[in-house]
Amino acid sequence: MRIYNNYIISLVLAFGAINSILAAGGQEQLDVYFTVNIIAYLVISLLYVYFNPRARRVINTVGVVLFGGFLVIVAFKVMEVLGR
Amino acid sequence: MNQPYRLLGLGLLLAGVIFAPVSYFILNSPALTAVGISLLILGFTCIALANTRPYISPEACRVMLRTGMENTAALLEELGLRNKAIYLPSSLRDGRPQAVVPLAEGEAPKIRGKIPGRLVVRFGARPQDVAIAVTTPGSINLEMLETPPGPTSGELEAAISYILIGILDLASSVSVNLADSRVSVEINDPRLYWEDIWYYRSLGSPLASIAAAIACEGLDRPVRIENEACEKGKARIELEVLG
Repeated sequence: MRIYNNYIISLVLAFGAINSILAAGGQEQLDVYFTVNIIAYLVISLLYVYFNPRARRVINTVGVVLFGGFLVIVAFKVMEVLGR
Repeated sequence: MNQPYRLLGLGLLLAGVIFAPVSYFILNSPALTAVGISLLILGFTCIALANTRPYISPEACRVMLRTGMENTAALLEELGLRNKAIYLPSSLRDGRPQAVVPLAEGEAPKIRGKIPGRLVVRFGARPQDVAIAVTTPGSINLEMLETPPGPTSGELEAAISYILIGILDLASSVSVNLADSRVSVEINDPRLYWEDIWYYRSLGSPLASIAAAIACEGLDRPVRIENEACEKGKARIELEVLG
């Protein structure tokens, strides 16, 4: 399944590049790494439009879970800002 | 079938589960913790994808494809049919797209009205307008499309790509050009090639059959595979749209 392999390789390259660039930029906040990685995951998943319906369904499920994590981070940040 | 992805996923998950806490609590490094989290995401994705792999092995699919092809080829060969098949949209063939192989040789026949769902069918007013109707790989694949294909080249390209790349994994990319009652399909990195056998000469290769079935359904007009060529990892298929 070359499309699966391409998808996984795209994710590996994107995550590797993002983590390397952020680390080289001296980023110390874990939530920034997490957020940018999730955005990359969602964008790459969206670009693979030719996945079969079953694969699309499970990828969407993983995306929803990750998006939930992203919302939790955003909620914490909002509470942090409002608490100041 | 799904074992490599599952093993890869489990390996990545295990690495992530160990690496992320160690990086966060012991090494105190956000960058390495992010790598651990990335491993977890990749692991979950691989395990999820493993469950979407087909249950039937490629070998079993090949056996079934060859059986059907050889039966149809035997029928065509026995009847001595050398004409190229005409792919009909579902609107002309009782709701299911099929291909007809005319018995009489000559110019491209004109299809008049709906054709009954039988093996031997009459498609025109002339006595020689008789054909054999067969189901092709393309006919079956149309059922896998979530929405019917549209008539523009972009919509045809999307539908053919969805089937060939996303569902069947038979190519790496597809481009479609539509001009002057002709549809040109270019398939990059195809996994099935044209062979000089009776079945392919009449009905086209499975790739061409899929392209023709989708094109005729999208355009809602009969289509004939005019030419098929394979060179340097590319398959070029020329389809003629009939009136």
